[in-house]
Amino acid sequence: MTELSDELLVAYVDGQLARKQTRAVEKVLEQDDVLAARLDALKHAHARLEAAFEAILAGEEMDVSAVPVPQDDGLHISWRAVKLTLAVLGIGAALAAAAAGYGWPVSLPGLGSETELEVRPPNPTAAAKDWHEEAARAHALLSRQTLEVGLESQANYDFVAFQLAQILGANPKLPNLEPQGFRFVRAQALRFGDQPLTQILYLGRQGGPLALYAKKGEGDGSAMLSQGQVDEVRTVAWSEDGISYLLAGDIDDTLLMRIATRVKLEPAPPLRTAPKPQTPVNRALGKES
Amino acid sequence: MQAEDYHDTVRPGLIAMLPRLKRFADVLVGARDEGKGLLGRALRCMLAEQHRYQRGTAIDVWAFGEVYRHWLHELRDHDDPMARAKIDDARFGELFYPEGDGYFDAPVIAFLGALPPQQRLTLLLVYGDGFEHEDAARILDVSPETIAARLVRISASLADRLSARAPAPAAAIVETLYPEGLRGSL
Repeated sequence: MTELSDELLVAYVDGQLARKQTRAVEKVLEQDDVLAARLDALKHAHARLEAAFEAILAGEEMDVSAVPVPQDDGLHISWRAVKLTLAVLGIGAALAAAAAGYGWPVSLPGLGSETELEVRPPNPTAAAKDWHEEAARAHALLSRQTLEVGLESQANYDFVAFQLAQILGANPKLPNLEPQGFRFVRAQALRFGDQPLTQILYLGRQGGPLALYAKKGEGDGSAMLSQGQVDEVRTVAWSEDGISYLLAGDIDDTLLMRIATRVKLEPAPPLRTAPKPQTPVNRALGKES
Repeated sequence: MQAEDYHDTVRPGLIAMLPRLKRFADVLVGARDEGKGLLGRALRCMLAEQHRYQRGTAIDVWAFGEVYRHWLHELRDHDDPMARAKIDDARFGELFYPEGDGYFDAPVIAFLGALPPQQRLTLLLVYGDGFEHEDAARILDVSPETIAARLVRISASLADRLSARAPAPAAAIVETLYPEGLRGSL
């Protein structure tokens, strides 16, 4: 039996190890049944702890929801019109991604057949809705710029930030949510009526996308963080520095609030200037400096 | 920072995390009613002194830390802090049985109830609330290494306890006295 301490195994279970260490532990585990059994025991213990804490939270949520909270202006739902369209924004984003040629398979064998839809409706509530209307509302958010922003530019963070500022006519935040477990995937331009709207998309290890929307102007928004929910999509909205923000995703509302708080507390971005084009000469100059 | 800005961030932030804060207070004191009382007092203090909230600090880290500090403060003022920190097993168990929920894990509940409050909170913050070790350390005013050490010790102890075989009934023990090949022929 190889000697791997509980310290290392717990750190492995908790995801606290560096990638190299993780791989090393996994190699050892493949060959050592005793250690693998110990790991299973630790995982099992963690799972039962999580279930215990979840059970308490379920009780607290029932208690809190039973208490009528005064509806002061700290809880009002702002930017309502955009939020209502968010219910279908998942479709909108998917349409945009499909149109751009990646991310969502447009045609899957058997998808859409009546039998399959009857057996496994993806969501009973959504299935009951008129998808034509939902899709049309999602489509209304797409603009010409949505498709004109080249995907090849998405790898250049500075360039994306510059493009968003150009599109919006303001300097929106482009937060790095890696510490919160969400990696930046892409940003795109949408529209709300005749006003530009930007969407920054992130993906966590699992689940659907997390999106940060920004629109110039305070609108009916408040500097306060206000929560909302449209179907499965949870939202947090606020305004700052002349920009209205909306963070949306099908994730736990406390996690969403936590991320929104961090984004809000992030200092305003510096004024963006056009990044230098990535020519061989500029790359060489960049290396020298 | 203007006073209004504090209000803008602190109040809605606290409202949004009320269930989590309540769970934290409950697990800390070991009973629902006492948890409610502690949270109420801590919230009043937080709202009255929200200027102490520093921009750049995650609001949940600040709020959880405030509840914990409030509890410590009250404990120190008590005549018999050690007795006050003890919890009643039955009332602690009630925390886990919300109405209509089928959850029942007596060994885990007994294990948690036997832990000192700070160790219970360490588990809750990391495994229940998903805080990073650094944030849990800030809340409990200890080092991240202490958090990691507590997690290892408690996780290993719980894993040992849960994987230990239950005492076998007498009949089963008698059965194991016979060689494998003779079973079924008796």
